[in-house]
Amino acid sequence: MNVLAIETATRACAVGVRSTSGLEVVRVVNDDRRHTEALALAMKAILGEAGLKPRDVTRVIVDRGPGLFTGLRVGIATAIAFAQGLGCELVGATSLELLARGAFDAGVRGKVVSCVDGRRGEVFVQTFQLDDEVVMLKVPRVAVPRDVVIEWATNGAPVTFTGDGVVRYFADFDAVPNGAVFDQSVPSLHAALTIGARREADVVVAPLYLREADAVANFATRQRPT
Amino acid sequence: MAVVLGIETSCDETAAAVVDDDFHVISSVLESSIDQHRAFGGVVPELAGRAHVATIGPVVRRALDGAGLDPHDPAIEGIAVTSGPGLIGSLLVGLSAAKGFSLAWGVPFVGVNHLEGHLFAPLLEQSGLEWPLLTLLVSGGHSLIVLQSGPGHHQVLGETIDDAAGEAYDKVARWLGLGYPGGPEIDRLARTGTPGKLKLPVSMTGSDYDFSFSGLKTAVVRATQKQSDVGLADVAASFQAAVAEQLLRKLRSALEHYEVRGIALAGGVAANSTLREGVARLADDFGVVSHLPSLAMCTDNAAMIAAAGLYRLRADGPSPLDLPATPNWQLADVS
Ligand SMILES: [Zn+2]
Repeated sequence: MNVLAIETATRACAVGVRSTSGLEVVRVVNDDRRHTEALALAMKAILGEAGLKPRDVTRVIVDRGPGLFTGLRVGIATAIAFAQGLGCELVGATSLELLARGAFDAGVRGKVVSCVDGRRGEVFVQTFQLDDEVVMLKVPRVAVPRDVVIEWATNGAPVTFTGDGVVRYFADFDAVPNGAVFDQSVPSLHAALTIGARREADVVVAPLYLREADAVANFATRQRPT
Repeated sequence: MAVVLGIETSCDETAAAVVDDDFHVISSVLESSIDQHRAFGGVVPELAGRAHVATIGPVVRRALDGAGLDPHDPAIEGIAVTSGPGLIGSLLVGLSAAKGFSLAWGVPFVGVNHLEGHLFAPLLEQSGLEWPLLTLLVSGGHSLIVLQSGPGHHQVLGETIDDAAGEAYDKVARWLGLGYPGGPEIDRLARTGTPGKLKLPVSMTGSDYDFSFSGLKTAVVRATQKQSDVGLADVAASFQAAVAEQLLRKLRSALEHYEVRGIALAGGVAANSTLREGVARLADDFGVVSHLPSLAMCTDNAAMIAAAGLYRLRADGPSPLDLPATPNWQLADVS
């Protein structure tokens, strides 16, 4: 099985390939939100490096968010077209689980909170339990960093925070007495390739936004009786 | 026979089409998210972007199926995709998909200017088109007069200095309490009204062929306050006549100045009945052919993008894989 991984949920654009022979190539192409320009070119380059042609790809895995809306759409639209064009399988994974699995692969154990920068002073968060496996404890949600910090400081249980949301609000997260920080800003491509090889293919892969479009949210507010 | 796959996602329509190099439309598929935008009185970019991601795969699949092409190895010369102008979040979905298909199939792709796409629409409906051609391109986002010496060779003579004609329709419709989009509603009402019942000024701009529509809504509001007894149908008819008069007057002066063989209408507002009648009359007056598009060809579609892309692919070659979207790409900058 030759797996191609696509990652565009954060500022970075990254791609990875794992071939049947076990060869793995992973590349973070840039960190400046230029997903549209970088992605297709990076896919072509990394396949070439792995000695593969596009037609050799049997599976595509894409990070479906939560994250930057525009980046997500670039990655997912490219993945949908590439997989549909080849007639190969498509798998989706969330940015939050890729972060948790990235921590797991690096040896982190116990409770892990993945935090993706959601802009506007918010983060997308999800709590995992890492023992023999990576297990989700809660559903993904939007939160204010300070609330997450207070919640864990009050709780007192040992916890590890990871993701670009932690990088952005480092001082807040670093201040949790019972907390540790696992430095990781790009959801793990290695984890994506592993999930991509194992997980059952999806019929439809859709972005996980976790937020309504602004206009819809504002409209709902206006319509509410006062 | 060589064919090109076209992809269009610049606004609220997800479209794909297959066109051959004689400009025959083999298949054309369109999904619109317009129903999601109605409540907001205009296209909500974020909602449009979300809808495109959900529909792009199936729409392309249906266009290939309709043309009898292998979805995994279609015998196509290339992929043409709108890369501007338009809503950035919408453009990126089509552009990303085009790159994904291009990589998968090993075929070239080319970024197409949406407005140049509209200019190619008449080629898809009329064989033996004669040049030069004067085209009035009017839609919700654009209003231009273009002189075409041949396919792919155009000169923008004038354009709107503020709102597009379609935008003026939407604004007035909203103020009158009609639905979105405003064009079809006002056009329907205007049929039973009498133009001129509401006294509206005809806007004059400095340049010969430029338009201005931003003052029209205010003028309608003022005039209806002054003449509060004028019925809705008469208001619609008077407004519609004022829009058409401005467009046709500029078109007439362009016809007096440039020697052409035909006049073409393009864009969403080309569906407007008053404008269509006016252009046909103008063509008669000047002894030139009028090219009035079918309703399907007025709205945004991917067949026109495929047609323009076929020309660009052969004239300029394919685009690079790192092509960005250009949300403000001017027609005058296409060469
Ligand atoms: Zn258009």
